[in-house]
Parts: sequence; C-alpha cells; structure tokens
Amino acid sequence: MADGAPKHQPDSRPRGFVPELKRSAISFAAMLPMLLGIIALVGLFQTIVTPRMLASIFQGNAFIDTLIGTLSGAAALGTPVISYLLGGELLAQGVSMYAVSAFMLAWVTLGFTQLPIEIEALGSRFTLQRNLLAFFFTMAVAVLTTITVGLLL
Amino acid sequence: MSKKHFHWRGRKFFAVIAATYLFTYLYAPHIALTAAQTSGAIFRNVVPIIAVVITFSAIINSLLPPHIMVKHLGKNSGGRGWAIALCAGVISHGPMYIWYPMIEDLRQHGVRDALLVAFFYSRAIKLPLLPLMIDYFGWGFTAILTIYILIAAVLQGWLMEKLWP
Repeated sequence: MADGAPKHQPDSRPRGFVPELKRSAISFAAMLPMLLGIIALVGLFQTIVTPRMLASIFQGNAFIDTLIGTLSGAAALGTPVISYLLGGELLAQGVSMYAVSAFMLAWVTLGFTQLPIEIEALGSRFTLQRNLLAFFFTMAVAVLTTITVGLLL
Repeated sequence: MSKKHFHWRGRKFFAVIAATYLFTYLYAPHIALTAAQTSGAIFRNVVPIIAVVITFSAIINSLLPPHIMVKHLGKNSGGRGWAIALCAGVISHGPMYIWYPMIEDLRQHGVRDALLVAFFYSRAIKLPLLPLMIDYFGWGFTAILTIYILIAAVLQGWLMEKLWP
C-alpha cells in the first residue's frame, strides 16, 4: 500500500509498449476485487436510493442544505449523468441551488464509498488530505457559484 | 509488478459486498437481483474505459521515462505541470476509481501530489456532458461552475503542498 509522500523508485525494468501494457494490465487485474466490489455497491445504491428519498433529507436552510448536499453527494454513487438528472429532480422538488450544486459536485469529486480503493492505491494520508480539501472546496464552490449566478444573471 | 509479487487487492472489501448481496437476497431477492443487473450493466460500460486507461497508462510509461515525467510533472514543473494536470482531468473519462492504479504508478514515478489533487478535482468538468448540464441548469450556471472548479482545483493542489509538505 502506498502511503505518505511518494517514493520515487529507481526503475530498472524493461521498457517498451508491450512490457508496459502487460504490467499495466496486471496492475489492474490485481485491483479487480476492489473494482468489482465498488461496481456492485454502485448497483445496490442505485437500486435502493430514489430521488424522492434524497429530496426528503434536505431542510430548507441554505447552509445546512449545502452541507447535506455535499455529504449525500459524497455518499452517492454512479455516473455524472445520474447526478445531473437527480440534481434536476431535486431542484424541481424545491431543493435550493446551493444544495443541488454541492450535491452534483460532491458526486464527482468525493467518494466515501470509493475510499477503500483510493486508500489501497494512494495511501491513507493522501486520501484523507485530498478528500478533506475536496470536501471544503465543494461547499465553497457551490456557495460561490450560486451567489455569482444570482448576482450576474 | 512481477508475477511473483502478484496479489489480489481488496479481497476483504469484495467479501463484505458479496455478503451484503447475499443478505439482501435472503430478505429482498428482487432488490438483490435488480442491483446485480444494474451492476452488470455498469461493468459492461466500464470495461472499454478500463481498456483505454490500461493502454493509455502503457503508452505514457513506455514513451515517458520517469526522469522526463518528473521534469514535466515533478517538483519544478511550474505552470506547464498545472496546465497538463487540469487538461488531463478535464478530458479524462469514466469513474474515478478506474484511474487509481494509473495515478498510483505516476505518483511512484515522482509526479507531484499537488498536480494529482488538481487532476482529481478538475475531473468534475465533464466535456461531453456540458450540453446536458447547460440544458438542465443554464449556460450561465455551467460557465461559472466550470471556472470555479478550475480555480478550486489549483487552490487545492497549492494548499496540499503548503499544509502537508
């Protein structure tokens, strides 16, 4: 498991496209249990969680909803297209733009459920730092975008 | 990675998910079956992207020896490094988790953590999906969000090195 600062390893392996392709394929193959687990989790999430269920967790307070949007987007799983569709659905159900922006952004930049695979590949220190930064910046970007849109358009 | 060192990663995680499916199947078989079908569809969509990422990774590693990679994406890469990280993030496709093995490889070759953080965040911009986002939320919202995402990606990378050097 990689952790902490990257270790720049001296490299004496054979180079060239075919050896690298083989090495890359083996690297991915080793990750298969983790990848399959994540994909199975995505399938379960998409089956169980409905837009109505998601809309019901928002409170109507801009700050709290931004936080809830970030947390629920980070916990959610699926392709970005689904986040746009769900975002549109949430807006239609009266959820604020702050929350919807945070939800869509957290969906693609954070991933609580992907943490095991990120930790496995990049180490716990890097994963924690990156997710912490992404968490706060997602809320900031959601708030700033909504305010700027309100001021300019 | 030689064959001698090969080991499956995440077996416990997979076992937990498999047990969750089994448990769900026992109490709500229709949910478990629908979820399995959805997962199968996702897997079929992801396989071609994995093939592209494996090929892309091999091309990068065979054409760019570590010292060249460090020059363009290492400690002293400067503005070019940021530009490469942001562009790579914006054009990268597919779910984040399929990029981890390649990122792990780049990191071991000396690519800056700051640039990897910027890469991850700029992935929030999905070029092929921009028309859909404009259709749903308007061009103004989409343009402003895109600009803020790029700024936030660079700021996060910069903070990563300042806070945790």
